[in-house]
Amino acid sequence: MTRYLVRRLLLAIPTLFGIVVLVFLLLHLAPGSPASAAGSPEAGRRVSAAAREEMRKLYGLDRPLPERFVKWIGRVARFDLGESFVDRRPVSERIREALPATLALNGLALFFTLAIAVPVGVAAGGRPEGPFDRASAVVLFALYSMPIFWAALLLQTLLSVKLGWLPLYGVSSDTAPAGLAGLADRLAHLALPVTCLTYASLAFFARLVRAGVVEARSQDFVTAALARGLSRRQALWRHAFRNALLPLVTLLGLLLPGLLSGSVIVERIFAWPGLGRLYFDSILSRDYPVVLGLSLLGGVTTLAATLAADIAAAIVDPRLREPA
Amino acid sequence: MPVEGGILRRRLVGEPATLNAVLQSSLPEQQVLQYVSRQLLDFDARLDLVPGLAERWEVSEDGLEYRFFIRPQAVWEDGSAVTSADAVFTIHQITDPKVPSPVFKPLFEDLELVEPLSASSFRARFRDRDALHAYAFALPLLPERRFSGRSFLKARENRAPLSNGPYRLASWKTQESIELERNPRWFGAPGHFERIVFRIVPENAVAYRAVVGGSLDEAWIDQPLKERSAKDPRFGACCRVVEFYNLDYNYIALNNRSPLFSDSRVRRAMTMLLDRPAIVSSLYHGSARIISGPWAPDSPAYDAAVTPLPFDPAAAAELLDRAGWRDTNGNGTRDRDGREFEFDLLSSAGSTIGGQIDEVFAGDLARAGIRARVRPLEWSAFVARVDSGDYQAASLAWAASDPNPDPFPYWHSSQFPPRGVNNVFYSNAVADRLMEEARRELDPAKRREIYHRLHRIFRDDPPVIFVANASQKYAFRRRVRGLVTSPLGLYGFWPGPLSWWGVPDDSVTGGRAQ
Repeated sequence: MTRYLVRRLLLAIPTLFGIVVLVFLLLHLAPGSPASAAGSPEAGRRVSAAAREEMRKLYGLDRPLPERFVKWIGRVARFDLGESFVDRRPVSERIREALPATLALNGLALFFTLAIAVPVGVAAGGRPEGPFDRASAVVLFALYSMPIFWAALLLQTLLSVKLGWLPLYGVSSDTAPAGLAGLADRLAHLALPVTCLTYASLAFFARLVRAGVVEARSQDFVTAALARGLSRRQALWRHAFRNALLPLVTLLGLLLPGLLSGSVIVERIFAWPGLGRLYFDSILSRDYPVVLGLSLLGGVTTLAATLAADIAAAIVDPRLREPA
Repeated sequence: MPVEGGILRRRLVGEPATLNAVLQSSLPEQQVLQYVSRQLLDFDARLDLVPGLAERWEVSEDGLEYRFFIRPQAVWEDGSAVTSADAVFTIHQITDPKVPSPVFKPLFEDLELVEPLSASSFRARFRDRDALHAYAFALPLLPERRFSGRSFLKARENRAPLSNGPYRLASWKTQESIELERNPRWFGAPGHFERIVFRIVPENAVAYRAVVGGSLDEAWIDQPLKERSAKDPRFGACCRVVEFYNLDYNYIALNNRSPLFSDSRVRRAMTMLLDRPAIVSSLYHGSARIISGPWAPDSPAYDAAVTPLPFDPAAAAELLDRAGWRDTNGNGTRDRDGREFEFDLLSSAGSTIGGQIDEVFAGDLARAGIRARVRPLEWSAFVARVDSGDYQAASLAWAASDPNPDPFPYWHSSQFPPRGVNNVFYSNAVADRLMEEARRELDPAKRREIYHRLHRIFRDDPPVIFVANASQKYAFRRRVRGLVTSPLGLYGFWPGPLSWWGVPDDSVTGGRAQ
């Protein structure tokens, strides 16, 4: 087990390096620069090319690409992500500010997704082609095919503007009270964006669980369990579902980084001060240090999460522990 | 009588990157700074310069030197006086090559020197004579003491500015909101609202709903939202649309260096092939005005007597024939010397109406035997192409609402990139001479006459295809009163939003306010 772990860790290093090089190259080869992004469409354009060239120098963009890369990697090795081109604040500070909002939103969404998808998937997989399976398939695919911005605007119009039950956008009210009332205010602000993120990923998980259960229930050990006199429910949850869990665990490893990446669409529509918006705005303004910092964060968490998932899978499935 | 007190809830489309007035580059920054940072001089609603922090100013006879006298009662939020040292420091920062100041740098490019004359007066001298140099001093000031010994770009001050205006910063929640409160030390008449709350709402459709729902008092809206609002009884009960014309306009840039567009006859023909009346009626639903030169109709430089070229495909075809562009090989596309008349029409992907105009234009051109391929590009990539002159045609909007009508930086042949921003490479000897003359002419009436002569040239030897000046639309809750619109918009002038006041929401709608 230890050897397995060490090998996996060592493999992660070149992967991470590859990700970083690729992002760095893609970003710098993309047309445009921080200087050309300055002066947004609405602010008009009076900046001369000479002034833009001065700005490029200011950002160090007149230096050759390899030199810039080595400098950046050198700083990252000392845990320094540099400063944002846009507001000259440390990149780490900007990420730290946006992190809690995205974590809260995506964490809750993932929780609700699983809380709904697992029972629905098991129930549907328990009787494939049964009435519940068919009905849930129709509902899930209908949800899955609804564009998220459309659903979000619809929910906003209905629940915020017409009925006034929920806040339209933001993480809290201008006059957010303290204590429990403040918490309630924040939860109310979470309701709509969490709903949007949840409904969109529901179908995927529920169908995945269902497929695992369908496959497992036709296997001999489930038949044996039924023959031993277990009820259908017991056979499904204790035996079939546990086996269906395996692909889910691996997949969760890939989903955990998604907790950080944030959803650009949902964060923009609900004016949510999270990482998705930060990422998107930084790309538009060619804020290279912030984009690189966020990509690095994404890369590291993806690798860490896949590693964790592999270990979890090894624990769940003894066959994976000893490589042949 | 205006009602005093209450909260005004305004919308920002994005987060300000800085509240350092020198470093500002975007609309949200300008909208917040207007409350906290007063300017030496201001434009009023009629585009005239009026005193701000400076109570008066003098111009030397040769038109090169300006002297400013700062009001003795002007103070910063901490009670210290606004001094000439602050003004000199601010202008030095603007001209420092290490400081990105996209808004103000172009205005001080030919500054020779700036120095204090006393604690409250200073002089600035320019190398070239420009009748409108005074416009550069519609300039916010920074407190020198706060920046001494610190990096100008990273100073804490940039996110917590010291106010010398009617309001001061109360709080700034990143990506969420900025809140202002009255500045007790402000020397002028106080603002009507107790507090101003800016919420950052990136999406127009959501901002519109927020105005209807009552969590915002105002938001810019586009044409589709305006139409939606007319059919929405909820909107009518609590809100109204405020619509007016400012100085923005859009145009299709033609690269005058390209063999396709170097001939003035071809550029005229291109203008006559764009069905501008149809664009105004079908795309803008009537809320736009066709323009015939590089100004909006409300600019003093615009001569209403210079009527736009008509939409006339037959006359355009004749011009193209005369310029040598004929379909000699019978493939349906005009050609000359073995070169087909085809080009990429670049557009900024963010602009819906711009994209629609481009598609309409490409259709009009196809019928005249010209092939245009519409190529939407992301903003930053688009700007990089246009600035470097690496394009044939590009659809652009002039959204600066700059009160300065001087065409020199944009159309004079000495201003080609990289030095200047004449990125269509327009060159007309007569126009060059007139533009120089206008800069030297100190008499406003005579200068206006020169602009009007220039206007005629810009129509007959067009540098680009001038399209239209579209109206600006805002959704406002009815409770907000005292709005004044101007060619500079709702807030590009003094006092702008400082004259607004509000009554309680329920006294308008009879319903509950959020």
